[in-house]
Amino acid sequence: MPGQSVHFIPALPLSSQPLPYLTVTGRAGFSGFPSPAQDYEPRTLDLNTRLVKNPTETFYVTATGDSMEGWGIFDGDLLIVDRGIKPRLGHMLVAMLEGEVLIKRYSLYKESPHLCSAHPAYPPLPLEGSDCQLWGVVRAVVHEYLR
Amino acid sequence: MIGLVDANNFYVSCERVFRPRLEGRPVGVMSNNDGCVIARSAELKALDIPMGTPAFKLEGLRQRGEIHLLSSNYELYGDMSARLAQLLRDACPEIAPYSIDEMFVYLDGFTNDQSEALGRKLRQRIRRHLGLPVCVGLAPTHTLAKLANHLAKQDPHYQGVCLLNGQDHTTEALLKRTPVGSVWGVGRRLAERLAIGGVNTAWDLRESDEKQLRKRFSVVLARTALELRGTPCMEMNALDQPRQRIMTSRSFGQPTGVFAEVHNALRRHAQRSAEKLREQQSMARAVMVFLNTNRHRRDQKQYFPNAVIALPSPSDDTRVILDAVRQGLEQIHRPRYQFMKAGVMLMDLVDAEQHQLSLINPPTRDRHPFLMATVDQINQQMGQGTISFGMTNAPAAWQLRCAHRSDRYTTRWDELMKAGTHPGAIDACTSRT
Repeated sequence: MPGQSVHFIPALPLSSQPLPYLTVTGRAGFSGFPSPAQDYEPRTLDLNTRLVKNPTETFYVTATGDSMEGWGIFDGDLLIVDRGIKPRLGHMLVAMLEGEVLIKRYSLYKESPHLCSAHPAYPPLPLEGSDCQLWGVVRAVVHEYLR
Repeated sequence: MIGLVDANNFYVSCERVFRPRLEGRPVGVMSNNDGCVIARSAELKALDIPMGTPAFKLEGLRQRGEIHLLSSNYELYGDMSARLAQLLRDACPEIAPYSIDEMFVYLDGFTNDQSEALGRKLRQRIRRHLGLPVCVGLAPTHTLAKLANHLAKQDPHYQGVCLLNGQDHTTEALLKRTPVGSVWGVGRRLAERLAIGGVNTAWDLRESDEKQLRKRFSVVLARTALELRGTPCMEMNALDQPRQRIMTSRSFGQPTGVFAEVHNALRRHAQRSAEKLREQQSMARAVMVFLNTNRHRRDQKQYFPNAVIALPSPSDDTRVILDAVRQGLEQIHRPRYQFMKAGVMLMDLVDAEQHQLSLINPPTRDRHPFLMATVDQINQQMGQGTISFGMTNAPAAWQLRCAHRSDRYTTRWDELMKAGTHPGAIDACTSRT
């Protein structure tokens, strides 16, 4: 707390989980020429570098409910939410509305911006005049078939 | 220019990022074991509930839903703090975290206007990208930056960012109405001594003769006066020195008088303390053990003993410290008291590199550093307390109570924030389970 030095160890939610990347070893032919692959360092593909662009500003969120299934977000899916992105039409947003955290698509409805569900029971919510606040932009959805 | 970025009500703000319903409501965060209030939202402050209020006194308000009290969630605060530091690191030439919610940024070569513009940009970015409200104080020295930050927090006119160049009328006016005790590094007792000599405000201190200050008080105070004049003379490393004492203490979840239970808690604290000791590469010359009964229970017998055990030679060996703790506890433990809190303090620390080997008690086996390093490494990788000396992991009364802890939204897969696909989705989900 203020006035005293605190040493904290950052937690590690964003650590690398490298996947092995196939490396070619072995000799090419009889001539003794070295393998053409040998100049390439063994590489790994890291899902983080693909799905997480701004680690400091990325948060993970769990989707709850079935009203976004039409757009590929299912109950229990993992959302990768980037708070560093400026929202644009077509983006999936995490937004705060009357104290609730909601996932909606940001799109035009009758030529004005609305937050839309993929479910007929939930009509588009007009953004104009609402106290809706942006929380973050969904960069990716992870849907696990095996859990 | 030096900037101080300080989060407003940091603990409460961290909670609100993930629980927007708490926005605008009186919220308090409680100390370990839900003992007392250690962080308050503006709304809670407005209810005149002081810092450190014991939680049981607020139980009625909490149950009636008039205030919200949360257990401390250090895992969450630590992660948000690390994110804040990283964001600043990305945007500024150099930074130095000072505490969990305060970070200094160094803007060498920035003009006043550029510094202020960056300060405003940082404030907006932190608010939007991390969800945390912060204030920024900018000044040529650490001490003035701290005051500038205070002003940015107090006076809405600054809109969260205040720059003091050290020479202008704003600086003068501010220093004249700042009590000397509010200056960074001037404690209450020092302020009383200064008042005798007619130094009442920060301005008085700034105008005092530097040599006199050094002679009558200390070099540190003379430097503070210089810093108030806008002359930088404080190095951050000086603030970052290894600690001279290491303390680990906890309140018990439930009071207990059972020797074995108290001993177990102390053994855990001893091991954690020893770990901290090795982390900063120090050795302890003495170990203090203390016990407290619950001072709020006037109906119970009170007892606040402590014992200091000197070690045969400076040590960072957990086993030596555990042995001292047992001796200390045997000296002070009395049956028929209900203890509320127990703690271990490692005292008189020396640098592990520099300490002189004792001729009378030469270390017999030199293998302990390897053993300790291995234990620390395993505990760091696998989680605290994976390996310990003796059984300290059994569930017992002294284990941490955190009945109102929110989820660890940023560090645990099974405790992430939930977002509903439609209004009411989350409530429907929680009522289902």
